[in-house]
Amino acid sequence: MMLLKLAWLNIWRNKRRTFITTTSVFFAVLLAVTTRSMTDGVYENMIHNIVSFSSGYLQIHQNGYWDEQSIDNSFEVDDQLYQELLKNPKVTHIMPRLETFALASYSEKTKGVLILGIDPTKEKEVNNLHEKIIEGQYIETVNDNAVVLGEGLASQLKLRVNDTLVLLGQGYHASSAAAKFKVKGIIKLGSPDLNNRVIYMPIKRAQYMHGAENRLTAISIMLDKTTNLEKLKASVQVVLDAEMYEVMTWKEMLPEMDQFIEADSTGHYIIIGILYFLISFGLFGTLMMMIFERKHELGILIAIGMKKHLLALILMLESIMIALIGCFAGILGGMLVVNWFVKHPVHFTGELKDIYENYGIESIIYFSSSENIFIVQTLIVLLLSILLAFYPGFVVMKLRPVEAINS
Amino acid sequence: MAKTIIDAHNLSKTYNKKIVPVKAVQNVHIHIEEGEFVALVGPSGSGKSTLLNMIGGLDEPTSGTVIIDGVEITKLPENKLIDFRLHNIGFVFQSFNLIPVLTAKENVGFVLQLQKMSKEEREKRVLDLLHQVGLEDKINSRPGELSGGQQQRVAVARALASIPKIVLADEPTANLDSKSAGNLLDIMAKLNKEEKITFLFSTHDVRVIKKARRVITLVDGKVDSDVQQIPK
Repeated sequence: MMLLKLAWLNIWRNKRRTFITTTSVFFAVLLAVTTRSMTDGVYENMIHNIVSFSSGYLQIHQNGYWDEQSIDNSFEVDDQLYQELLKNPKVTHIMPRLETFALASYSEKTKGVLILGIDPTKEKEVNNLHEKIIEGQYIETVNDNAVVLGEGLASQLKLRVNDTLVLLGQGYHASSAAAKFKVKGIIKLGSPDLNNRVIYMPIKRAQYMHGAENRLTAISIMLDKTTNLEKLKASVQVVLDAEMYEVMTWKEMLPEMDQFIEADSTGHYIIIGILYFLISFGLFGTLMMMIFERKHELGILIAIGMKKHLLALILMLESIMIALIGCFAGILGGMLVVNWFVKHPVHFTGELKDIYENYGIESIIYFSSSENIFIVQTLIVLLLSILLAFYPGFVVMKLRPVEAINS
Repeated sequence: MAKTIIDAHNLSKTYNKKIVPVKAVQNVHIHIEEGEFVALVGPSGSGKSTLLNMIGGLDEPTSGTVIIDGVEITKLPENKLIDFRLHNIGFVFQSFNLIPVLTAKENVGFVLQLQKMSKEEREKRVLDLLHQVGLEDKINSRPGELSGGQQQRVAVARALASIPKIVLADEPTANLDSKSAGNLLDIMAKLNKEEKITFLFSTHDVRVIKKARRVITLVDGKVDSDVQQIPK
């Protein structure tokens, strides 16, 4: 308590210097929190956009499906499993999927396509698929005898709404799967790959066509927070029969996207690292000034019986206090800024908006309010302040009282 | 027979041994008994402060030993020496050297906190000491709010807080006006008499020398004379 009090009083001996140092820490933290919130928000939104149309955050398959993606590796729908999954508070939505490949033919054109058998209502809730319709209508029920296909695919097959599409593929256990479907709508998706090859089909129709009644290739799971991904995977694995099912995260299913985010994040980490490096010099300079202008006093304290490690501890406390004052102010300021941007995301307008949308990317910059951003920045500053205090601490440990007193 | 409290034996200190050796203290033998009030006098550069620093364990002698109350402090490892100082030696410095951010009460209590004395005991001891040095009305004043004489009285109270065996004072009156100096000396003499604390102070202040019962004179780092006297 005495050390804390002494450290606190010491940092206010030169108010202007402490103010300048804490202000530099404040701006560094504010900048770090805001940029981290923006990049995390962009990544989270990008991940959400991509996984909600494709894999989901988490997928359950029959064991071995991912290595050999065949309808023969599908599994039977289990209502009890649905109930178990929905009990998990981290699970927000469950989307049954039957995913197969087929040849799609119209007039004189034929093309290999990805058939996604979906529950239209559940997909609508998760990814607003119906809002991506650019022509015609969205499929409404699991029994609707119609399909919706990607804009790129429709254009390659020269298909229009209300035309009839022929699909030919392999069904469950090598049966042949063939059917005709009316094109109910054309959809424009963000991912060019999906846009050029996807057909959304009501799940019951997909099961019937492939002779795989009541069977799924995957259950896609959406979660409440992206940070809960690994926790959710672990808790889902607990309720599943490990011999029968495999659970995969989007990172495992879409490794390229994960690597892209990692690589892009590295650039941001470097910038933040440089920022903190510069701030460290300011804090270190302050600490060195504090120790050299008090050298005589430190000598006196050692003379009257204060152990050197206690003095080093006081210096460390002073460093931590200065850093944390700036840090907490920065976190508070960052919270206000981030909170404002979370409520009012940045909307691009004009040409920039068109460029983004043409690439299938939302022309909005979202901010993340994940508590991890604030915790991580606080820990970085705390760690820096401790590390920076080591050298002054070392100087104190080497101090000879008589030399310090005479300095 | 009173026991020897300070026994400096064959004490020498040489600075800049490798460049131009300066012999600050040369083969000094001093024995001071418990309860003595001793002035260490001599011209500037005679080695008073160096000798005092070595006796207080603040500086290492080049050769010789210092024994305080039977403990050879020249052989103690650093942390034990700091602990020894905390419990056995009080220091009063020329320029007061109080902690500027603490009040008079906190400055005096600081040493007791280092000794981990309970809050109640500490409060009692601190108030008693500040009363003895006549600063009971300044307990919550910071050093910047006190005069030089008052600051030095706080420093004396701090030096006495831990009930040390000896108090080493390096030119304690050098920065004080004659009234404050007289006042301080009276307090030190009174504490020496009442609490039986041994005082050794370096000085060339005649007023201080007159108050001492024993005067050791150093010249060129050597003891020139060591005389007993009746304090005036």
